Amino acid sequence: MSTEESSAVDDVGIAAGVSVERPWALLVLAGFWGWLGSRWINDFLLPDSIAVSSERSFVPVDPVAAAAETLGSVAAALGPVGAPVDVVASLVGFVAGSLPHLPPLARGAWLTLLLTVAGIGFGFVLAVPLSVGRVYGGRWLRWLSLSYTELIRGTPLLAQLFVLYFGLPLTQVIRELPGVGAGPLPAQAFWVAVVGFTLNSAAYQAEYIRSALESVDAGQLTAARAVGLSRAEGIRYVVLPQGLRYAIPGWSNELIYLIKYSSLAAFITVRELFFRAEAIANDTFRYTELFVLAALFYLALVLSASVVMGWVEERSSVPGVGGRQ
Amino acid sequence: MTLLRIDDVYQSYEAEQVLQGVSFDMQQGDVDVLMGPSGSGKSTMLRCINRLTEVDSGDIWLGDTHVTAPETDVNELRQDVGMVFQDFNLFAHLTALENITLGLKRVKGVHAEQARERARGHLDQVGLGDQTDAYPAELSGGQKQRVGIARALAMEPKLMLFDEPTSALDPELVGDVVAVMQDLAAGGMTMLVVSHEMGFARSAADDIHFLDNGQIVESGPPEQLFEQPEQDRTAGFLSGLQADGPQ
Amino acid sequence: MVQTGDWVFVLSNADTLLFGLVVTVVLTLTSLSVGFLLGFPAGAIEVYGDGVLRRVVTVAGGLLRGTPIVVILLVLFFVVSVSESAFITATVGLGLRSAAYQSQLFRGALQSVDEGQLEAARATGMGKLQAIRHVVVPQALRRSMPGFQNEFTIVLKDTSIAFAIGLAELLTQGYNLFTQSGRSTAVLEVFLVISAVYFVLTFLTNRGLDRVSDYYAIPAGENR
Repeated sequence: MSTEESSAVDDVGIAAGVSVERPWALLVLAGFWGWLGSRWINDFLLPDSIAVSSERSFVPVDPVAAAAETLGSVAAALGPVGAPVDVVASLVGFVAGSLPHLPPLARGAWLTLLLTVAGIGFGFVLAVPLSVGRVYGGRWLRWLSLSYTELIRGTPLLAQLFVLYFGLPLTQVIRELPGVGAGPLPAQAFWVAVVGFTLNSAAYQAEYIRSALESVDAGQLTAARAVGLSRAEGIRYVVLPQGLRYAIPGWSNELIYLIKYSSLAAFITVRELFFRAEAIANDTFRYTELFVLAALFYLALVLSASVVMGWVEERSSVPGVGGRQ
Repeated sequence: MTLLRIDDVYQSYEAEQVLQGVSFDMQQGDVDVLMGPSGSGKSTMLRCINRLTEVDSGDIWLGDTHVTAPETDVNELRQDVGMVFQDFNLFAHLTALENITLGLKRVKGVHAEQARERARGHLDQVGLGDQTDAYPAELSGGQKQRVGIARALAMEPKLMLFDEPTSALDPELVGDVVAVMQDLAAGGMTMLVVSHEMGFARSAADDIHFLDNGQIVESGPPEQLFEQPEQDRTAGFLSGLQADGPQ
Repeated sequence: MVQTGDWVFVLSNADTLLFGLVVTVVLTLTSLSVGFLLGFPAGAIEVYGDGVLRRVVTVAGGLLRGTPIVVILLVLFFVVSVSESAFITATVGLGLRSAAYQSQLFRGALQSVDEGQLEAARATGMGKLQAIRHVVVPQALRRSMPGFQNEFTIVLKDTSIAFAIGLAELLTQGYNLFTQSGRSTAVLEVFLVISAVYFVLTFLTNRGLDRVSDYYAIPAGENR
């Protein structure tokens, strides 16, 4: 709400990404995406005749479970010296317990990815006019833009989702749209969530972009006008290209937040990653496996986002504007 | 009486030799000035004396205290050695007065009221008796540096180190700080000053040491060094200084 | 869809919502306190510490910042079972997560204090801990105010996620109100009222912390 707030968010923001400087971490991430991608292709694209059943994991479960059991009995036989073997045994046991649940989690992760990308993308489209209106608009436009961002940023995302899903007849409207819920297109709750994340993320992104626009030297717009550009052209061709570069660290931050908060869509019945994990856990009582797996999935997504955003920041920087100096 | 003895000090930073066998003595009440091109090791020499930087080899004595001995308590040593920094380093969250009382209270254990009393005295001494409640951000560069001097003096040091005290100041503010330093010198304080401030050196210095590449090239009283330097390097450097005016 | 009768319904259940409000406020304060008590030392360890301790703090912080709060809460409730009380579980979960963010805040603030400050303090004869305590920390705390303000409102808003473990905070109370009373037409009214309450809370928090910031601000700002 105060002007300092947004600048300080950036500091925390960069730190929000877990740093990936070690090659093995990149390798693990590459493996994760390779598996996830093949899973999606197998489940959504390949005809049933050649695909692995969407309920079966790629790696057979039984041998792994057997290995865990063998290791466990070896550890027991060794007595106290077998403690390290026991640790390995329980790790293998964890993997064996997790394998059957990986396929549904992979399908949940697909929705998580869609929700995040749609939220940040559509949110950005709304955020640019919001922030430009806030910085360069007249009195009414400023006031409107400020009220919107403050109202959204002042209330919990979960309450916003409840208003949209339970409070408004949005679901009835969306249900009538062609194709919703049929074939590969997700059901109506998903679209309500997309609306929610878009409206929410737009407000936060607008704050990042606003403070970035304000950090562009005022002389830049003056110089643009002096060259003969109109005010709108000056903003479009001179201020925004610089401001958006300054906004990238905050923007990476927002992406990471959105990945994590997309889990709240579960409460309006979107079958994304967290929804699947919780549902399976409630069915099978395997809370440990499922919630640890969910955490690992989110960590992998967050790490990937910070790697990608680091790369984007690097690529989009020009000397003196953006990038980590 | 010899107050400070620097004996064959070597110091290196990463692979670079910064000091290569520096030796000189200072008597009680002496004012010595270290001059030399940037990177010659002047500041490092100062920082070795209060052990903000550790020497590789060689010895430093302050009176009876073996400064460079590992068992010497650096916190006690530093109470005897005041330091004034190029960029002031005033504690940004404290007023001028509190900048001075902090060390008195926390290090010397002086009672709060008495610490304030003494701090006021030191601020008066540097001509800032009316700025006790000002925060560093509200002071000019010259005022900040005078608070820095008062802060160091309050610990009642035996030796004062000045690390380019005027080089971060606007030219018109240099005079006030130099005047305070001249007063101190006249009052008998032992001072080791890294500075290219020719006016101060001429008027107050007993000896000038010209440092280059981590070695003392030439030492002597200002009139000798400025008028008839024996070494070409000294002459070259000094003529450059005089041509460009004081730094 | 918005009907007068439904507003009356909300009003007549004001005590239910008020109870939720109290839980929300108390949970915010306890979580932030846990966050501060763990986060400040963690930030200091990341700046001044070394070895195993520092690695542990860094990794734990990264894990907590990379996991959704709802997953953290469910892990604590069902896997670790820290407590049977949803309130304590929520305090621990929100508190740990806040500690992970506050540690970054304080780490940044401690690092942003100029090195010369520590050096000047050491030069007057203060020990390292003394110098950090009396010179670096007071400046770092002031600098972390805007970020702390931000963290405060994030925790306040995220207390609503304790809905996931059934804690009777404001949002849960509202949800129960319309699901259990059979008054499903009042759902929009209930959530609008609740959102308004959250908005007033974040607004007051921000104004209040602005005041605190101004009060402790160091006069004149041109100097770093």
